[in-house]
Amino acid sequence: MADTSKAPSFPITKRRLRFFGLTSDELVQLFFRGNAMVSVLVLALITLFLFREGLEFFGQNQQNLQVYRRAGLDYVDHMRWQEQDHTALNRYLLDVRMKVMADLTGRGGLSVEAANQRLEAFDQYSIRFDDAIAPLRGLVSELSETASAIKTKYYINEDKRTERRQLLAAGRADEAARVEVIQVDFARELEPILASRDAYLAINRDLARELQELASAARAVPGVPVERMDRFGTLVVQYVGGFPQIEQRLATWDYREDVSLLRSFSAFIFGRQWLTASFWQDWYGVLPLFVGSLMVSMIALTLAVPLGVGAAIYVNQIASPTEQRLIKPCIEFIAAFPSVVLGFFGIAVLGEFLRSISGAAWLDWVPGFPLAERLNALTAGCLLGLIAVPTIFTLAEDALQNVPRSFKEASFALGATRLQTIVRVIIPTALSGIISAVLLGLGRVIGETMVVLLCAGNRIEIPDFTAGIAAFFQPVHTMTGIIAQEMGEVVRGEIHYRALFVVGIVLFFLSLTINFTAQKILRRYRQQPL
Amino acid sequence: MPSPLLPSSLGSAEGRNPPVVRRPVIEIADLDFHYGTSQALHDISLSIAEKEVTAFIGPSGCGKSTLLRCLNRMNDLIDGARISRGAIRIRGVDIHQRDVEVMELRKRVGMVFQKSNPFPKSIYENVVYGLRLQGVRDKTRLDEAVETSLRGAALWDEVKDRLHASGLSLSGGQQQRLCIARTIAIEPEVILMDEPCSALDPIATAKVEELIHQLKLRYTIVIVTHNMQQAARCSDRTAFFYLGKLIEFAPTKDIFMTPSNPQTEAYVSGRFG
Amino acid sequence: MSQPTPNPFRATPSFSRTFESGVFWVLRSTAYIILLCGGFVFSDIVIKGSTTVFRPEFPFVNTTFLTEAPESLYVFEHEGVKREMGDREFRAFRESERLKAEAAGRTAPEIKATSYVYSAGGIFPCIVGTVLLVVGSMSIALCLGVASAIFLNEYARQGTFIRLVRLTILNLAGVPSIVFGLFGMGLFVIFLDWNVSLLAGWFTLALMVLPVVITASEESLKAVPQGFREASLALGATKWQTIRKAVLPFALPGILTSSILGIARVAGETAPIMFTAAFVVRDKLPWEDLERASDFFFQGVMALPYHIYVVSSKIPQNEYTERVQYGTAFVFLLIVALIATTSIVLRARLRRRYRW
Repeated sequence: MADTSKAPSFPITKRRLRFFGLTSDELVQLFFRGNAMVSVLVLALITLFLFREGLEFFGQNQQNLQVYRRAGLDYVDHMRWQEQDHTALNRYLLDVRMKVMADLTGRGGLSVEAANQRLEAFDQYSIRFDDAIAPLRGLVSELSETASAIKTKYYINEDKRTERRQLLAAGRADEAARVEVIQVDFARELEPILASRDAYLAINRDLARELQELASAARAVPGVPVERMDRFGTLVVQYVGGFPQIEQRLATWDYREDVSLLRSFSAFIFGRQWLTASFWQDWYGVLPLFVGSLMVSMIALTLAVPLGVGAAIYVNQIASPTEQRLIKPCIEFIAAFPSVVLGFFGIAVLGEFLRSISGAAWLDWVPGFPLAERLNALTAGCLLGLIAVPTIFTLAEDALQNVPRSFKEASFALGATRLQTIVRVIIPTALSGIISAVLLGLGRVIGETMVVLLCAGNRIEIPDFTAGIAAFFQPVHTMTGIIAQEMGEVVRGEIHYRALFVVGIVLFFLSLTINFTAQKILRRYRQQPL
Repeated sequence: MPSPLLPSSLGSAEGRNPPVVRRPVIEIADLDFHYGTSQALHDISLSIAEKEVTAFIGPSGCGKSTLLRCLNRMNDLIDGARISRGAIRIRGVDIHQRDVEVMELRKRVGMVFQKSNPFPKSIYENVVYGLRLQGVRDKTRLDEAVETSLRGAALWDEVKDRLHASGLSLSGGQQQRLCIARTIAIEPEVILMDEPCSALDPIATAKVEELIHQLKLRYTIVIVTHNMQQAARCSDRTAFFYLGKLIEFAPTKDIFMTPSNPQTEAYVSGRFG
Repeated sequence: MSQPTPNPFRATPSFSRTFESGVFWVLRSTAYIILLCGGFVFSDIVIKGSTTVFRPEFPFVNTTFLTEAPESLYVFEHEGVKREMGDREFRAFRESERLKAEAAGRTAPEIKATSYVYSAGGIFPCIVGTVLLVVGSMSIALCLGVASAIFLNEYARQGTFIRLVRLTILNLAGVPSIVFGLFGMGLFVIFLDWNVSLLAGWFTLALMVLPVVITASEESLKAVPQGFREASLALGATKWQTIRKAVLPFALPGILTSSILGIARVAGETAPIMFTAAFVVRDKLPWEDLERASDFFFQGVMALPYHIYVVSSKIPQNEYTERVQYGTAFVFLLIVALIATTSIVLRARLRRRYRW
């Protein structure tokens, strides 16, 4: 500054115009910096608000599961599962009958009456098997009512308690005093259920004896294939063998046992049921939705990866410039198709189209064909494939474009053919770019909402994987779909609402992981060309 | 302050000019410069006299451009670039002091770049760009400035009929002279030229060199060049750099005729570089 | 000379050549299969949708469909003739029939009509809603996005902060749109208490499209040669003057064209607006019956994509409902396709024009 005074002919010191100690240029920079912060802020806010709305779910679910145990629903469900296993065995018999019936009337050329007559002994056996469960079924339905009543009573009291709290908070103490809250005494309420133990044991003994008899008689039932009945016999014996375990579990069952938060957590992550607004018990298990999302994405990628990568190789390496100019914008154009329009197309055209194709005689060998449902994982998967193709194509084409020209020239100069050059030089160099393109395609597909909401069939169930490939032709529900479908119908702050936010959290972190991995692969490839 | 420079008429073409008092405009003292961790300049001390042409020569990567860009702090734009020791004073003002307004400095120390870089605007707008930044709105003043600057850059006769054509429509040499016109429009004291002719053909180069001779009557010029003939033709003093060190700094004639340092001799006689 | 030597370079047919061309044909077919699928979807909707939107006689466009609100369709048989009417028309018709019958001194016969919701009238409020959503959200996204890009490209120096910002932008681009919907609902609708409103939709969509805009803007800024900046700075311009006068004017065309792709994305998304801005049905147009000017921002709107979702999932498919379904899909696809085509064409042209 001393210099300035000495040399006024060269005045280059700063001007004094300042706002809050900053020059105007620094202010401008601060403004832009703030804007750049927005995206960081948004990501932070997304995380924050998903957790803010969703995190409480685990506490609520813990409560939900606790009541399930306290009110004895858990206890009754053990018996119910036993009963359901019996029903499954019954279905097996039904299946046997259907096959034999079809055989008799079809190849055997018998009339329906004659066939029925032929199967009379089997029907007798079948009816006897079905009747065996009746006492247990009666007990279960009786106990169910009791348990349900306890649960309802508990929730009514909880509601009243909340009401009273609200009144107190509003300063209306006298009204609050009038709200009657009775503490539900689970021990007393549960007495009738626990008292049924002896009756249950008796029923179980009879059932076991009866079933054992039936199992040994299975072989001798006339008119049906012996090997199938043998199998039935072993299944029944296995089933009966499981009885002591159930009895044991019921004997040690204690309603006072607390449900841990961890249990609430694992019930969500590994829960195989997503059942809401049920009169018995609500379950929030993300597994069926996750499996649905995954299956639909797998179908989409199976279709989109060969097409997208193949087209990228073709356009980048083989096509003439005219073809390039034609194909690239067209595929970019496909990327602009709104997903809801594709979803509508799936409902209006593709679903029916696929089903009619699957009905063709020459496709009979494919398991699951003809398709039972118009809207299923395959329909949604095909459309998602069309959504993923432009993403994969564009990114893979970029990766191929980035392969230095000299690599290609060097290979040609050594006498390699075009195909050899592509397979041995170009693709290996661009491989990590292509892999990250596929990953980003997966991210795009797994987060897609409208297509799966409209076309996946929306059945919340883990598909039956024992059916093999046919599992992919069953209707599924997805994580994105469930949020879109149910968010409009839930009450804010309730467990169901929060559960949907937790599904959102899962989706969010899943997509972050996929995206992050893709970026990582891409970065590594940029640093090392080969 | 003591000056290592003698008031002289050493430049061959200078003899006819009336003698002027030559005092140092720029003084560089003990300068060390780093890009990140690698040192680009080692202990440079050098004075540049007023209204002379000073040439920086040396092989690629010797730091001559770096030093030039220090003079108007264009190196500020590069991440990790910093002066680690020493100072640069222009008219006695340390230009790397915290309280220096870089914009003011750059208005007084103009720069012409290696690659001509006119804006994709009209010739007129290119020339008045700097004036408009200073808030000059007066049309007559702008018009005057355009004419003087273009005349000053020896471009007026070629473009006076198409002042509103795009600056990019000019030839390479014309573009470079347009950039010079743009620089002198804001009337700097010093003009830095970073290899201004390296992208030009010989005829255009000759024109620019001629222009430099005229410009030095009014401005102090520092020119970085690869072309030794060019340095010999148009500069009064020459500094030879090698590996970030100032090897020799002397009147141009001496550098080319009787270099005192063997490295300088090797370079100017074309044995390396 | 006398004995011609066999040409060693003569092409001979061989297995590897046949194999190569076979592989090339397979690759070629993948490209064309994609185009075929896309073309099939596009043409199906265009062909079936154009029967709703276009008319064989003057004015060739179905003005009712484009300028009116959706209403229920009534299909009934009257005096042996099968007739179809929109809600209002049907009421008027029933009334006039009743009056006619009363004048003739008998009770009017009950008209047995089947009704199909949303299948008559038009989609005007949806078009309006979509336009409002796109304009608002793109304005916000452009302001934020261009400013961010300027910081990243012009001001930022290497450092942790910048790496963080870049990483965030990359990851933000991969967040599913439905998650943005949830976030918008959590922040704007519930926490800030804006309810289901235009404003909530604007911000949700703007934040969703932000990475696209930032990336596009940065690319355009990068395309401006460094020389412009140096020249401007060397002439004594401040950083901000340089950006304003020597960078932005030349980057702006690129920023705008690339951002058109963002418009296509914003217009095409349904999931983010489902819980933040869209109403299934709303009688009033956004500018009707506003008590205060601010009410404009705090009202939900109908939107084309959401309307397509509603008509394709909530009502059964038959010959009567199909018209509005395909018509809406067609109009929507046309709008989005036009935007996308503009972007693709402009981008290609811009690349050719700006070579510094």
